[in-house]
Amino acid sequence: MQPAAAPVNAVELNHLSKSFRVRRARSEGVAARARDLFRPRTETVLAVDRLSFSIAPGERVAFIGPNGAGKSTTLKILAGILQPDAGEVRVFGLVPSRQRRQLAFQIGTVFGQRSQLWYQLPPRDTFELLGRVYEIDARAHRRRMGALASVFELGTLIDTPVRHLSLGERMRCEIVASLLHSPRMLFLDEPTIGLDVSAKAVIRELLWTESERAGVTLLLTSHDTGDMERVCTRVIVIHGGRLLWDGAIPALRRSYLKAKRVTLWSETEHLELTLPGVRVLSSSSYRTELEIALEITPLGQVVDAALRQAAIRDMAIEDAPLDDVIRALYADADRRSEMS
Amino acid sequence: MTATRIAKYTAFSRIAVAHARRERGELYGRVAFFAVILGVFSSLWRAVAEAGMPVAADPKALVWYLAATEWILLSAPPIHIEIQEAIRRGDVVYRLGRPVSYVIAEFAAGLGLLAVRAPLLGLTAFLCAFAFTGWTPPLGALVIVVPFGLVAAALMTGLYLWIGLLAFWLQDVAPVFWVWQKLMFVLGGLMLPLELYPRFIQRVATFTPFPVLLAGPASFVLPNGIVTPGVLARNLVIWCFVTTFAVCWIFRRATSALTINGG
Repeated sequence: MQPAAAPVNAVELNHLSKSFRVRRARSEGVAARARDLFRPRTETVLAVDRLSFSIAPGERVAFIGPNGAGKSTTLKILAGILQPDAGEVRVFGLVPSRQRRQLAFQIGTVFGQRSQLWYQLPPRDTFELLGRVYEIDARAHRRRMGALASVFELGTLIDTPVRHLSLGERMRCEIVASLLHSPRMLFLDEPTIGLDVSAKAVIRELLWTESERAGVTLLLTSHDTGDMERVCTRVIVIHGGRLLWDGAIPALRRSYLKAKRVTLWSETEHLELTLPGVRVLSSSSYRTELEIALEITPLGQVVDAALRQAAIRDMAIEDAPLDDVIRALYADADRRSEMS
Repeated sequence: MTATRIAKYTAFSRIAVAHARRERGELYGRVAFFAVILGVFSSLWRAVAEAGMPVAADPKALVWYLAATEWILLSAPPIHIEIQEAIRRGDVVYRLGRPVSYVIAEFAAGLGLLAVRAPLLGLTAFLCAFAFTGWTPPLGALVIVVPFGLVAAALMTGLYLWIGLLAFWLQDVAPVFWVWQKLMFVLGGLMLPLELYPRFIQRVATFTPFPVLLAGPASFVLPNGIVTPGVLARNLVIWCFVTTFAVCWIFRRATSALTINGG
């Protein structure tokens, strides 16, 4: 009996590295400038540095990092647009830089600040074009287009020239365009950038639903923690091209959450809590807001101290926002890189 | 090329046709400009002929010559601008990631635009040249000009594609295009047949694609045109090969530059 073949990961990255040559700032003086014209001085910037991770089919992964961390470069390498300098990359078992066209049928891409829709034409025309490009049978294409138009509630938008669509409407059409060929994986580069709160919520909901329904693997980069929390279950954090964190979002919170915010409504007008690691954020009549460093003083000890002073009518305990967690993570990485 | 691949690239031509129909303003602007140019030059050549200058020995034929060169020039869509904008905006990442050849797809879209422009501008050329001269060249000459003119316009579209790809390095290809236009003006014989230019310019022009783009096809309307259809066809084929090679080469360089410099 033959051993069962190992399941192919959606993404497999092993020690991926990528650097760019960038021009250095112009020199001062005419002679130096003339020299720069013929022999420009360049420097090498390491965008991705021995990055390794894998993603299983059907996972929804947030891929985050500060500006210039190497997120978009990694995404472009995964899509076969850029070639890696070193390391191994496989997407559904294919090598993107060598098998770009085969891979294109398996993946979809959404770049938040770019567009694949023909600006003067209704999205339907671009959808028809993509049907041909991805070699979809005409009848199957019509069915797929109808199904996605219904899920994404395109309605009359599908026949409205793109130039008349709002950013949120356009983004829904961009995502539909990327899903038409039923890709197994979707790379999303800041899909909610520039959108208002309700448009963001719609896009997140649709991405989550589509991924659940069709089992599409998602790799999403964003600076908006709301995108990660509402769409993804796992987060990969990179900084300076290196892997900083890879795990479930709750685990990230637990690891980097050093404080909790507690609001107490007491019977006495003011509480006097002078415990180590406890900071009073605000204190008004019968209401005290605290930030508690859990490593220094456990939460229970603070509550006990408050109860000793007065009866507590109500209490709210909140985690610090994920933004703070991410910021702490980046600051930690900055500190470590400065030290090294 | 398989039927599926042909269908893919035809789809690019079709969507470009739909796009051109929506953006009729630019085409109508070209038509108006064309009519004005032909009106001005027909008056100019008439005045030159009346003054007894040898240049405009046959002013009517010269107006038809200009109508043919301008028809080719104005029909070729400026796809370098669209390519440049796609590179600047970054939309090119979508196009590079598709299961098609980026270069052929852009060229096919260019041919779609050409298919919309050429008939209307051709009709304008015919009507205006006839209206301003009251004369037409022999039907046989016009029948030859049309296919050669269309092939020349397609070749010009390929060369604009080449210019557009320079945006991977330059970001702004306007200066290159500006130089290109001036060369087209001089070495292509845009306004006057090349035979009327100094001999050294004629010699230089033979080493460039410009004569086969404009002067070659247009010279069939001249009573004493020196280019034969066979020679022009041969030269067009040679320059089509050269352009194909140049476009493929620069695209390979461009994608590797994207890899090196990050785009």
